[in-house]
Amino acid sequence: MTDSTPSELAAQMRPAPPKGQASGWLAGLLYRREALRGYLLMSPTLMILTVGILIPFVILVVLSLWTRQGFDFDTTLTLDNYRRIFTEPIFGALIGRSLWISAMATVATVLLCYPMAYFVAFHVHRNKMLWLILITLPFWTSYLLRVFTWKVILGYEGVINSAFISLGWIEAPLEFLLYSQEAVIITLAHAWAAFAILPLYVSLEKIDKSLLEAATDLGDGPMARFFRITLPLSMPGVIAASFLIFIPTTGDYITPALLGGPDGLMIGNFIQVQFGPANNWPMGAALSIVLMLWISAIAVTFLFLTRKVRERLA
Amino acid sequence: MDVLDQLGAMREGKLSRRAFTRSLMAAGLAVSAVPLMPRRAQAGPADATYFTWGGYDIPELFVPYQAQHGTLPNFAIFGGSEEALTKMRGGFVVDVSHPCNQAMPRWVQTGLFQPIDPSRVSNWSDVMPDLVDLTGNDAGDGAVWMAPFDWGQTSVTYRTDLFEVEGEESWDMLWDQRYAGRLGSFAAGADAWWCGAIKAGVDFANIDSDEAFDAIAAVMREQRPLIRMYTDDTTTLEQALASGELVAAMTWNDSATQLRSEGVPVQFAKPKEGALTWVCGLMIHKDAPNLDYAYDIIDSLLSVETGKFMINDYGYGHSNARAFEAFDEETLAGLGLSTKPFEILEAGHFQVPQSQEWETRMNDLFEQIKAGF
Repeated sequence: MTDSTPSELAAQMRPAPPKGQASGWLAGLLYRREALRGYLLMSPTLMILTVGILIPFVILVVLSLWTRQGFDFDTTLTLDNYRRIFTEPIFGALIGRSLWISAMATVATVLLCYPMAYFVAFHVHRNKMLWLILITLPFWTSYLLRVFTWKVILGYEGVINSAFISLGWIEAPLEFLLYSQEAVIITLAHAWAAFAILPLYVSLEKIDKSLLEAATDLGDGPMARFFRITLPLSMPGVIAASFLIFIPTTGDYITPALLGGPDGLMIGNFIQVQFGPANNWPMGAALSIVLMLWISAIAVTFLFLTRKVRERLA
Repeated sequence: MDVLDQLGAMREGKLSRRAFTRSLMAAGLAVSAVPLMPRRAQAGPADATYFTWGGYDIPELFVPYQAQHGTLPNFAIFGGSEEALTKMRGGFVVDVSHPCNQAMPRWVQTGLFQPIDPSRVSNWSDVMPDLVDLTGNDAGDGAVWMAPFDWGQTSVTYRTDLFEVEGEESWDMLWDQRYAGRLGSFAAGADAWWCGAIKAGVDFANIDSDEAFDAIAAVMREQRPLIRMYTDDTTTLEQALASGELVAAMTWNDSATQLRSEGVPVQFAKPKEGALTWVCGLMIHKDAPNLDYAYDIIDSLLSVETGKFMINDYGYGHSNARAFEAFDEETLAGLGLSTKPFEILEAGHFQVPQSQEWETRMNDLFEQIKAGF
């Protein structure tokens, strides 16, 4: 069953005349059962999902219910780790800080990328693909390299500080640029820009231009036209871009590790500590799950709110 | 079908869907097979792995090894020894690793290491016996768990032109309010916590008491707002000291020695409370895939050539007594070293092995303090 090639499957989809006895039985079964056909078509994806996501997730949940005992695990199931997460202030503070940093980064990214996507969607008429490729070109380099580049730009003797000093604007280097939450937000906003530009572009591109003409004919100025037509119609892109950035950046590890300094550490760094030097894997697992729950809750709330807003606008 | 034919067929829209799928599959297989080839070519017996601190992955330490095998060993790097142990407990198999005396008994307890047979190490007769004779190092039958390699101090490296020392050099320099935001520290408790103990005046014999935990935690919390960066990357600390971003930082001997050789005006402090001292060495993994090569790595690191480089370029003490012959007393004293290592080690605060519970508790607490709690 599993070793059928796609072309064979395609053949089985059709009510083919039975060839051999075995394949005839199979074809008959598939012909009668629509659900089975569906599952068969999905089976490669389902298998990857089971092996790659479902099983590790179950392991993570079980691990989070254990506790650490020296170098080993106490395998009696308990909610101790979760109790600690909700009673000790450090965990709440780190999760709050992570959500805040990544929310700021998301807002900054979407605000910065919207004009770019707008320009390509409305004012570029030829070679749009080339423009998109050019815009995403910087993102062909490794994420780590881009983070390091920001270290060079924001650093104590970095590009910004040396430029400002040589222009005589400042006397001593600005120290808040690096090893701070601002540094993390700036870097995240740049590093994830490609993930905002593409969905924004797609949703702006789809807008029917005759609607804009109609708005102008009915007396809307450029600003009113943007807020009444373009922005609401591009909301799916804005929402998709926000999710694409907010969800992965909340658990980001390398950016705060390299640029965050003591006050810029995020929950991802603390989870790494649990799996590394602190050697408390159950706690790390519990933190990961709590982070996932938080992100899901925020995502659902955000979706609900945007839906309400759109209903009111419409 | 030839590749060009296929491309032509595709352009003309004549390529059948089945042929297209087949060529896609072939391309996919080819791409996924590419990384397999060089790996297989490498996988000779020659890739013994040395799991060590950053900075020890350089050819200068492996001159005898290279002469023998023509290549360097593979390197894997860790930032702190707790991190290294966790990784190996998670199933990472290496040939040789590089803990320090404080961690060694705990490493032995994990059962992940095998005793070292000194008769298989040609340089063993030159190794200083004092350094072999460490707490918990006896593996029975003349074997040892850890072959001592390097020893040194953790202290304060400061910019002589930017940091104004009040009175004597002291650990207070890393708690100096005048330089808030311009001080650096190691991120790993294996160094920082012990330095905090010296600052708090806690005797290492009682470092496991509850009062000691409270006293050290208090000084670490006091220090945290002054610290610009906690890192285990010595290069980051050195660069920050060189640029003046930091005026003083907790480092090992090598940072000061290397910065001075680059012409940066720095001094490796001799704090009046005493520096933190340690001996690090080499342990062989119990499942070391290339045992002969593991012994060759150890032999190379214990050789006189390596020792001279360690002393001259890194400013560390070495375990080979003959490595010191090339240096006069004055040079050694300038580096904070001596031919009698225990004079230096005992003059400072020599790290004492602790239980796993202590280590876990300390790491938990220190991580919370660094995060601001």
